[in-house]
Amino acid sequence: MSAAQIRFATLWRREVNRFMKIKKQTLGAPLLETFLYISVFGAALGSRIKELHGIEYVVFVIPGLIMMSFAINSFANNSSSILQQKFQGAIQDQLSSPASPLELLLAFTFGGFMRGLIVAGLTFIAASLLVDLPVDHILVLIPSLFLVGFFFSQLGVLTGVRAEQFDDVAFVQTFVLTPLIFLGGVFYSATLLPQPFETLTHFNPIYYMINLVRYGFVGFSEVSIPLSLLALTAATAAIFAVNLRLFSRGYRLRD
Amino acid sequence: MDELALDIEDLAKRYPTGVEALRGVSLRIKPGELFGLLGPNGAGKSTLIHCTTGLAQPTGGSIHVFGHDATGDYGEARQAVGLAPQEPNLDWFLTVAETLDYHAGYFGMPKRERRQRTEELLETFSLTEKRDERTRTLSGGMKRRLILARAMMHRPRLLILDEPTAGVDVELRLELWHYVQRINQEGTSILLTTHYLEEAEQLCDRIAFINEGQIVGRGTSAELAERFGVDSLEDAYLALVGRKELSRSHAEVAAP
Repeated sequence: MSAAQIRFATLWRREVNRFMKIKKQTLGAPLLETFLYISVFGAALGSRIKELHGIEYVVFVIPGLIMMSFAINSFANNSSSILQQKFQGAIQDQLSSPASPLELLLAFTFGGFMRGLIVAGLTFIAASLLVDLPVDHILVLIPSLFLVGFFFSQLGVLTGVRAEQFDDVAFVQTFVLTPLIFLGGVFYSATLLPQPFETLTHFNPIYYMINLVRYGFVGFSEVSIPLSLLALTAATAAIFAVNLRLFSRGYRLRD
Repeated sequence: MDELALDIEDLAKRYPTGVEALRGVSLRIKPGELFGLLGPNGAGKSTLIHCTTGLAQPTGGSIHVFGHDATGDYGEARQAVGLAPQEPNLDWFLTVAETLDYHAGYFGMPKRERRQRTEELLETFSLTEKRDERTRTLSGGMKRRLILARAMMHRPRLLILDEPTAGVDVELRLELWHYVQRINQEGTSILLTTHYLEEAEQLCDRIAFINEGQIVGRGTSAELAERFGVDSLEDAYLALVGRKELSRSHAEVAAP
């Protein structure tokens, strides 16, 4: 391995090591939460709502839950890891190393991506044991999940860099992400909503992400798949470019 | 001729708040030299160190570490520098051994070499028994040792010690002095900032006084005393820095 490869692998290993050391909180809790959603919305509500668009209700819900766990865990990992290291000053050890802004950004990004992937993967396995979950369009599913994970990892990095206190991170997660995810159609179809809520849902970017992942699993979508993929790719590239600029300038990282 | 270990030319740092922390600082440290930088709180010592190590971005001037531009060619420059900061900045999630291993990884050291170096430094700094303990459980003295060990992990040619003995007991201070002298005798150039004049006098080949973002005097301890017509480094320091501080505090008291 070259020195640059060792450097990147170590930066990334540090991020994975951090969440593995507190896995009850970082992996166990999100899995329990998802299991509770499946129980409540799948088993309890599913006994009343048998089908949505010809798909068993619990199967309709699970792709959204997988997307949600990938998104929230990628975001939470990176935002809290960066803020904690800023608080401790430990980030100085990485910032004063020969690592480039790109190496630092990618290492933080893939740390959160890895946590999101593990939680989403375990959710998928657990759900597959409980219900018959199809994978209809794997060539849409894999890039969609990759982009969702990468986008929210980047959003976590951006929030962590900008944050000055833990309240700043909690604000984004509680007052921005959670409402957008819940109102993005994880548990229902937007076509069932009365106006103006159906139209408003189309302004929620997460609605398109949920539909992409749902299409990958069950082959049903309320939106254009190519357009949604294109928009998500553009949004991910844009946030990556913003973060790279911030890391290059040392914004709120270097004096 | 060997390149200078540290060559700082007309360095300026102005914060967005308008505070000018460094105002045209120039400093040269020769290879193998143990150089002391003395000054009161807020004089600009830590800002100078942060600019050298990439933790702050200078707003003017240049910094070269063994000939490498610390901003343009930062990879090579940072590779040559080890930093032991004033405030313990250890990662709470890591153990003592992991702290050393990760640091070396950030500097691109291969696994086998990292392992050997970790064992070597754990032994040198009497940390072997603590190797699997998380850093937050360590005493203040142990944290100081670990920070110094971490700074040396990637075998830097220039070691920067920002007040390494601040707040430590006499026994540990003497122990740290011993380490510093040993590292220096092995060929590592050292920039040491300290509040303790006797520390600078005992350890350093040359000394510079910094005050209000400017170098206000430099030379050996004897040269500084002679230049200011005083008997000791302490008197020279008071002549340059202390009396101004004293007169300023009097002025503040006298102000309505």
